[in-house]
Amino acid sequence: MGASLPPKEANLFKLIVKSYETKQYKKGLKAADAILKKFPDHGETLSMKGLTLNCMDRKSEAYELVRQGLKNDLKSHVCWHVFGLLYRSDREYREAIKCYRNALRIDPDNIEILRDLSLLQAQMRDLSGFVETRQQLLTLKPNHRMNWIGFSVAHHLNSNGSKAVEILEAYEGTLEKDHPPDNERCEHGEMILYKISLLEECGFLDRALEELRQKETKIVDKLAFKEQEVSLLVKLGHLEEAETIYRILLSMNPDNYSYYEGLQKCAGLYLEDGKYSSDQIDQLVALYETLGQQYKWSSAVKRIPLDFLQGDKFREAAESYIRPLLTKGVPSLFSDLSSLYNHPGKADILEQIILELEHSIRTSSQYPGSTEKESPSTHLWTLFFLAQHYDRRGQYEISLSKIDEAIEHTPTVIDLYSVKSRILKHAGDLNAAAEFADEARRMDLADRYVNSECVKRMLQADQVALAEKIAVLFTKDGDQHNNLHDMQCMWYELASGESFFRQGNLGRALKKFLAVEKHHADITEDQFDFHSYCLRKMTLRMYVEMLKFQDQLHSHAYFHKAAAGAIRSYIKLHDFPPKSTAEEDEHMSNLLPSQKKKMRQKQRKAEARAKKDAEEKNEELNSSAVSKSGKRNVKPVDSDPHGEKLLQVEDPLSEAVKYLKLLQKNSPDSLETHLLSFELYTRKRKILLAFQAVKQLLRLDADHPDSHRCLIKFFHQLGSMSTPVTESEKLIWSVLEAERPTISQLHEKSLFDSNNAFLDNHKDSLMHRAAFTEILYILDSNRKSEAVKLIEESANNIVPRNGAIGPIGEWKLKDCIAVHQLLGTVLVDQDAALRWKVRCAEYFPYSTYFEGRHSSASPNSAFNQLRKNSEKDSPNHSVGNQNVVSTTSNGKAFENLTI
Amino acid sequence: MGVGREVSISLDGVRDKNIMQLKKLNIALFPVRYNDKYYADALASAEFTKLAYYSDICVGAIACRLEKKEGGGQVRVYIMTLGVLAPYRGLGIGTRLLNHVLDLCSKQNISEVYLHVQTNNEDAINFYKKFEFEITETIQNYYTNITPPDCYVLTRHIAPSTTKK
Repeated sequence: MGASLPPKEANLFKLIVKSYETKQYKKGLKAADAILKKFPDHGETLSMKGLTLNCMDRKSEAYELVRQGLKNDLKSHVCWHVFGLLYRSDREYREAIKCYRNALRIDPDNIEILRDLSLLQAQMRDLSGFVETRQQLLTLKPNHRMNWIGFSVAHHLNSNGSKAVEILEAYEGTLEKDHPPDNERCEHGEMILYKISLLEECGFLDRALEELRQKETKIVDKLAFKEQEVSLLVKLGHLEEAETIYRILLSMNPDNYSYYEGLQKCAGLYLEDGKYSSDQIDQLVALYETLGQQYKWSSAVKRIPLDFLQGDKFREAAESYIRPLLTKGVPSLFSDLSSLYNHPGKADILEQIILELEHSIRTSSQYPGSTEKESPSTHLWTLFFLAQHYDRRGQYEISLSKIDEAIEHTPTVIDLYSVKSRILKHAGDLNAAAEFADEARRMDLADRYVNSECVKRMLQADQVALAEKIAVLFTKDGDQHNNLHDMQCMWYELASGESFFRQGNLGRALKKFLAVEKHHADITEDQFDFHSYCLRKMTLRMYVEMLKFQDQLHSHAYFHKAAAGAIRSYIKLHDFPPKSTAEEDEHMSNLLPSQKKKMRQKQRKAEARAKKDAEEKNEELNSSAVSKSGKRNVKPVDSDPHGEKLLQVEDPLSEAVKYLKLLQKNSPDSLETHLLSFELYTRKRKILLAFQAVKQLLRLDADHPDSHRCLIKFFHQLGSMSTPVTESEKLIWSVLEAERPTISQLHEKSLFDSNNAFLDNHKDSLMHRAAFTEILYILDSNRKSEAVKLIEESANNIVPRNGAIGPIGEWKLKDCIAVHQLLGTVLVDQDAALRWKVRCAEYFPYSTYFEGRHSSASPNSAFNQLRKNSEKDSPNHSVGNQNVVSTTSNGKAFENLTI
Repeated sequence: MGVGREVSISLDGVRDKNIMQLKKLNIALFPVRYNDKYYADALASAEFTKLAYYSDICVGAIACRLEKKEGGGQVRVYIMTLGVLAPYRGLGIGTRLLNHVLDLCSKQNISEVYLHVQTNNEDAINFYKKFEFEITETIQNYYTNITPPDCYVLTRHIAPSTTKK
């Protein structure tokens, strides 16, 4: 380095490097300038100066200098290395790898560069390259532990587990007998566990077990040791031994469900579907009875039997499980039991149990058959459970009456208001739901959870401005937008994006959806630091797990939602492009000149104000940031806070394809992915790609209404296209001709026939009927009235259930809304849509969409009555200083004085 | 004390973050709506206003105002409200709240605690008498929109505590 310089300058050069490493950039810059005064063309100095400037936020100068430096000294590995570092700092990893490779061509044994390269290869999952680089590092420095480990991990990632084991064993061979020293015991133990997990992965189970037992004393993590041991024993079929270990594990933690599951497996009493024979159930009962006596404090041991018990035994167990928890007041009891509602018959039993308990407590303050008085709060929690029970069963009216009863009983419990809000949401009244979520929030202003829940409800009710205000309360300095973004608060961004989408504000919707996409890119990015850290700290099992997690990061539900939202936004943008300025002018020309002038002025003023605000804010940020760190450390201010620029994309569909590809890669088994794909490619007139989407839909769920819709639409559109002319068109045609007979739904049938067959197969389902009618209308618009009639003839059947209160219709609110939209916008029959609305308002009295009589959309609803009353009351009854110690009008005092 | 199982009762202060709890209690307990000054006084009285929790549920409260006596700088305590939700009465919660305030008074050498009570509210009057409160005055037409409109003033004088310094 700096070899071509005279001694004095060579020393200065070393100073630059040192200053860079110690982050004393100003000092480094001075030294660089001193050299450049004498040798203005010295390549390595120019490069280093550039690198230094890069760290001082002077990007463009940095690139210029580094390029210049490289040009002046193409044979210097320093220059190439620096160029690589520069790219790396901008996350341009592919370019950076190229630069490192060039550097290594000049100086093949440079450890530093090799190490940097290996990190990038791990990041980019260039696995064979990673193995190669790691091998070189090991050859150069075999006395470094990290190089052995790195080489082994590289082979593991490159799917060569047995090689990885060999390397670790070779490494162990280099160790002294008394290894490890005390301060390395944890790391060494981790390495052994990693090696054993590798052996297990390769299927060398016996060897793994032998190794594990032999090295037991060297493994520090005793829990991991036991869990590994039991996993190997089960795989080897040594079930008796495994059972003893599971029992030991249970004595360490009697609330770990997986230990119970393991124990059941060892006893041959585990079925994935939970459908046990009565004989098996008896054995399970016996097993859990003894376990229950052993682990009296475990709640898992009491809860698990509710999953396999049936009938009267279930009733008995459930009741004795529930009673003490209601007494104790466990708000999460319902969600603890909610999975039982998927087991046939259990919901009815639970309903009977709770109703009996409630009745008994209400009348005698005692549980049935008990002589002990329950504390008053037991009644409250029983009502609370009942409300959630009826909510789950879709009986919103009863549910709400129960929660109101609970609130009447004890109006200070926050959970009651949260649950009321949730019931109202399910019942279809989003505004009232937001209102009650806000009430819950105001009862404890220091609770972030109720705050967040309120924000979410408000967004669901499309009250975005209000929601933002509430969200601000829990952010730093009230700088909400940036803060929530920096915190990667994705639920918020998704809910906000969905709301903007519903309101037709595509720019801001896209802004939010793309932010979530950005977070995922950042998370991918964040793994970079761990490539070196984990090797050093030897947390290898966790490291490999983290890499696997990263590899499927984009299949996370949040990403799926964001990408789907972005695609839908782009499709809408394509279908309804924003008005161009010319059109807007046209719109304005309808106005009177004076009005026009006023409007223009208004617009201009608003723009100026917004600009000024932004500038002021910017300045404020700048000044505060500078004063703190001395160096410019300002985050760039968002120049497009409302996503207006996002709306100006030239080809929204091509933008959408980017996200679609990510969905196809990461969520190939989601119906929505292929529905979007179908919508997108039909618009782009990519026939084969659209057909592929149809085939995927049929693969996933051929009976789904949407699959049917897409299938018939596709072939219908195909039929209306002109005969193929060009070679490629003919080719496409022949492919489709060959494919059509393979689709069983079509075979030799006409589209009408296959549509009819679809209806015959799914007569009783509203959504299938809706799909049928939509297709019927598309195939022949003359049959519109027939289509409408078919929908109106559908019946909302009662779900059969034994002995419970009140009927429940089969129809879901969401589906009925979809049908209403079908009638209104696709079949365009406003009368029918209105009839449908009136009908659904009966089924869903709380739905604001259908303006049901109990919803906040109806002026006579209880909700609005309540509101009016509280408004009347609130202007301070002006009691002033007058004070009342007494309570209710009947003279009953607050105290009964039984002391 | 109390019935059934042992349930813990605890007291907690009122802050602007949880003042809604006090409001909810008052709406449920009293036939009048209190204005902002009431809540400001309650907050200002600090330790003299407490919420009572029965197994982590807020079920009662005592709210006081600290007043300067005319003339000298002596402070006296005025109990604005004391109440417990109906289902939770008879469990010693009101006693606990009142004792808290009385103890605090004697610790801080406050010699007088008083309050207003509707003349027909015998239960309340008896309750306070147990704590050595005495009727010191009757005010006609004190209340504007409840009957009877008259109230008693109940006062308790406290001897300064000499035991501890």
